[in-house]
Amino acid sequence: MIARIARKEFTEMVRDGRFRGGALIVLVLLLSALLMGWKHYSDVSAQHTAAQRATREQWLKQEPKNPHSAAHYGVYAFKPKLPLSFVDQGVDDYVGVAVWLEAHKQNDFRYRPAQDATAVQRFSELTAATVLQLLLPLLIILLGFSTFAGEREQGTLKQLVSLGVAKRDLALGKALGVLAALAVLLVPATVIGLGALALASGPESLAMSTPRLGLLALSYLGYYTLFIAVALAVSAWAKSSRFALVALLGFWILQSLVAPRVATDLTRWLYPTPSALEFAKSVSDDIAKGMDGHSSQDERTQALERSVLKQYGAKKLEDLPINFAGVALQASEEYGYRVYDKHFGALWDRFERQNTLHQVGAIFAPLLAIRSLSMGLSGTDFAQHRHFATAAESYRRVMIKAMNDDVTLHKDADHKATSEVYRSLPDFEYAPLPLPSVLAAQVWSLVCFGVWLIGSTLAALYAATRMEV
Amino acid sequence: MLEAVELTKHYANATLALDRLSLRIEPGEIFCLLGPNGAGKTTTISLFLGFVAPSSGSARIKDLDVQSHPLATKRFVAYIPEQVMLYRNLTGLENLEYFSALAGQDSYSKAALLGFFDEVGLPQEAATRRVGTYSKGMRQKVGIAIAIAKKAEALLLDEPTSGLDPKASNEFSALLKRLGASGVAVLMATHDLFRAKEAGTRVGIMSAGKLLTTARTEDLSYEQLERLYLESMAGGAMQGVKR
Repeated sequence: MIARIARKEFTEMVRDGRFRGGALIVLVLLLSALLMGWKHYSDVSAQHTAAQRATREQWLKQEPKNPHSAAHYGVYAFKPKLPLSFVDQGVDDYVGVAVWLEAHKQNDFRYRPAQDATAVQRFSELTAATVLQLLLPLLIILLGFSTFAGEREQGTLKQLVSLGVAKRDLALGKALGVLAALAVLLVPATVIGLGALALASGPESLAMSTPRLGLLALSYLGYYTLFIAVALAVSAWAKSSRFALVALLGFWILQSLVAPRVATDLTRWLYPTPSALEFAKSVSDDIAKGMDGHSSQDERTQALERSVLKQYGAKKLEDLPINFAGVALQASEEYGYRVYDKHFGALWDRFERQNTLHQVGAIFAPLLAIRSLSMGLSGTDFAQHRHFATAAESYRRVMIKAMNDDVTLHKDADHKATSEVYRSLPDFEYAPLPLPSVLAAQVWSLVCFGVWLIGSTLAALYAATRMEV
Repeated sequence: MLEAVELTKHYANATLALDRLSLRIEPGEIFCLLGPNGAGKTTTISLFLGFVAPSSGSARIKDLDVQSHPLATKRFVAYIPEQVMLYRNLTGLENLEYFSALAGQDSYSKAALLGFFDEVGLPQEAATRRVGTYSKGMRQKVGIAIAIAKKAEALLLDEPTSGLDPKASNEFSALLKRLGASGVAVLMATHDLFRAKEAGTRVGIMSAGKLLTTARTEDLSYEQLERLYLESMAGGAMQGVKR
């Protein structure tokens, strides 16, 4: 029975010129967005590979020089783009993709296209995620607003109910019919996406991406299901199809345009973040005056000198078997680590709290949940950015320690590091955040998503079984 | 087959749409409810279909109360409104197939479905045409075809012939008579005295929610029926004044 209703709804929609027109536009937009995303991904990842190789090359080919100078010379770390980023760019444009790893400093990420963009640009960017998150729900509204209200106006609803069809079956059948019509759009898009994914990534990253793509597809399916349920509920409850359309468009505007804006302003107000200038100043204050505020850098060096002399039972630095300069450099680095860990830790925790608030906001607007999930599964959310930044920083610390150790081992003030020392530093290799951790960062999105899915389904069934005919 | 027991309906705005209607329609009977607009004819049919709940009393189909058996009672009846509405993006055949499948008859072959078209006098070429182009008479016939396909034991019709040209109207009555002869119980609300005399076996005259009088059509000539109707209306109006 339900299948029969779904088939009829589907046939009717497919024969309707309005659906065909709307679907064609959305399909063209979706495919071109996927294509552009894919092109962007393959360009960027080729550049990424080349740049990563070049920075390693430059490091290895340094002329012999003071190891500390080599540490100042440093290397770049480039955040690899995961293949699925062609679906959803996420926060990449805002947080940057490359960081310079050098002595003394934990740098900010660079290459943030959003820095040079105006606020208006946010709306004009056509990504697959925009089409999937904003336009498809609009299409669902157009398909679904009249499902019950329209049949009631036409008079066919009375006839259907007089046949002895359970209203619950009607609702389920209609929902499936709309899903089937959407499948006409989404199945080809998914197949093309899958093909692009296979083309864009090697076998290893394909193995990593496939479960993520599966979950991504499932998430969007859930998003559309809940939108269909909302459309059916409103259509069953509304007095007229015109009213249903207006109510649904209102919901769309609130959740797609108003809610993200409100969530952003609210998080900024609740969890303000320091400006770049303030942040840099508090870091340099802590390093200069000490984290307790009254142990200056000089005092810390003098204390270190005394303890090293005592450790080796020496009277003067010249009598030490090692080069004190290296020890002092490493100690000051390590003090820096504590300062950076404190400040970056606090900043990033704050960003994460902002993200959590966004996710929790999804209880009012499901878009916020799907947006967060989509970024997470595409590998472009903040949690994965932080994971990369942490890995890059650990690598920086390994590099600096290797150079400082080389200073410590050589008492000769004119000592120069050789290419052997440069080579002893392994190349930077980054393993992306594993899927369970990606999902763990999305727990509130998943909870809100579940609440919406169950709530909207119940609402649709409730409204349908109780509607007037 | 169809039975109303003290059936009463007050709407929310306090109008008494139906006042203690008691009525029994046996298989093979064609009962025509006559009366002006607002007499309670449509309310009666809506109550038998469970579209609205009675304020008191009950509507029964095959001894089952409509309110407590909303799906089971609908299995036995077919409903034909003033204007049978069809899905305009589907062909006549697809509409018939869909409605009969939803009525629980989902195993008809295409030939069988075309047979129903034939039975109600619809041309075969119309079957494969989208119904956007159908005339009202054709739609009403599709309504009958659905009822036949559904194997309905009772028919509830709400002014099914209003606006039909005399020929289409006549064909429609002929179909009804055939169904009646095959043992279907029919309850038809209509304004059309002539049609009631022509097709009906019994008539009931209603006014202001009350069933004033019933009669067998074979006992009356058309003129007598008309006089009975007009007298009832005058009496009903008097009653209204007294109240």
